[in-house]
Amino acid sequence: MSDTLKAIEAALEDEGLYSTRDDDDDAFRIAFKSEGDRYFVVAYRDDPSFVMIGSGWALPEGVDTLHAIDVANALNVRKKFVKTALWQEENDVLFTVELCVSSAVEVRPHFGRLLNVLRDSATEFFDMLREDE
Amino acid sequence: MLSVRETVARFIQGEGHKVDATPIDPDSGTSELLFRTRGQVFSVTTNEKDTGSLSISTAYEIPEWARDEHANTEARAEHPRVTFTLAHDGSLFVATTDEEADSTEELIRQFWILVARVRDAGAQAIEDIVDRTESQAAAEKFINSFMMGDR
Repeated sequence: MSDTLKAIEAALEDEGLYSTRDDDDDAFRIAFKSEGDRYFVVAYRDDPSFVMIGSGWALPEGVDTLHAIDVANALNVRKKFVKTALWQEENDVLFTVELCVSSAVEVRPHFGRLLNVLRDSATEFFDMLREDE
Repeated sequence: MLSVRETVARFIQGEGHKVDATPIDPDSGTSELLFRTRGQVFSVTTNEKDTGSLSISTAYEIPEWARDEHANTEARAEHPRVTFTLAHDGSLFVATTDEEADSTEELIRQFWILVARVRDAGAQAIEDIVDRTESQAAAEKFINSFMMGDR
């Protein structure tokens, strides 16, 4: 099977970012940082048309989980592309963009926009959590 | 001990970004570091003789019809810590912030805030320039047509 994520690596080059690969038998994976924040890209070998770009953040200590879910829901209603979800066992919040593509080449010209919307979603999520405290 | 240029370059690289660092004037210790973020190239100027200061700039190409250096007065008023200049015969609009601190480490701690400051101010100034030029052009077109009796 061809390397689904080569085009994403090229998009990261376009953005002037470093990235590392961590592939295994199940998936192709890229990790990278932008302005110090960590992101990942995953494509599964058995589902070559699926690509996911995301970032994970720790929830602050003492956050009311139900309130955090409300904030995530509000973002899910409003934001294009991004799915915001709480990973309760880890006390993390995940922001992901899930795409169905014929080839990751299709993602390359839009990669900057997707990265911006991921970044903005995380900023808005934590701003909304703080505002409502 | 690392130079200021190397300290700042390593920080930006550590944050995930490729950096092109070039000494500009070895006598004065001035260097320029270029990196990209959010689709925009930023330039950082460091000076080995002044370890507590740096400048961050970004440039925008502006079309000939929008080259009016007085069109960004609102952005100037709203972002007093950012200076705006025209370069390359007015084809480039440059937004710059100069920051002073007690040390390079202190500058680094607020690095992305400074980048955001320049980005926000520059984007607003460009928007003002284009808006004003477009609305002015539209108004002139309308007035000219009206005066000529087309409408």
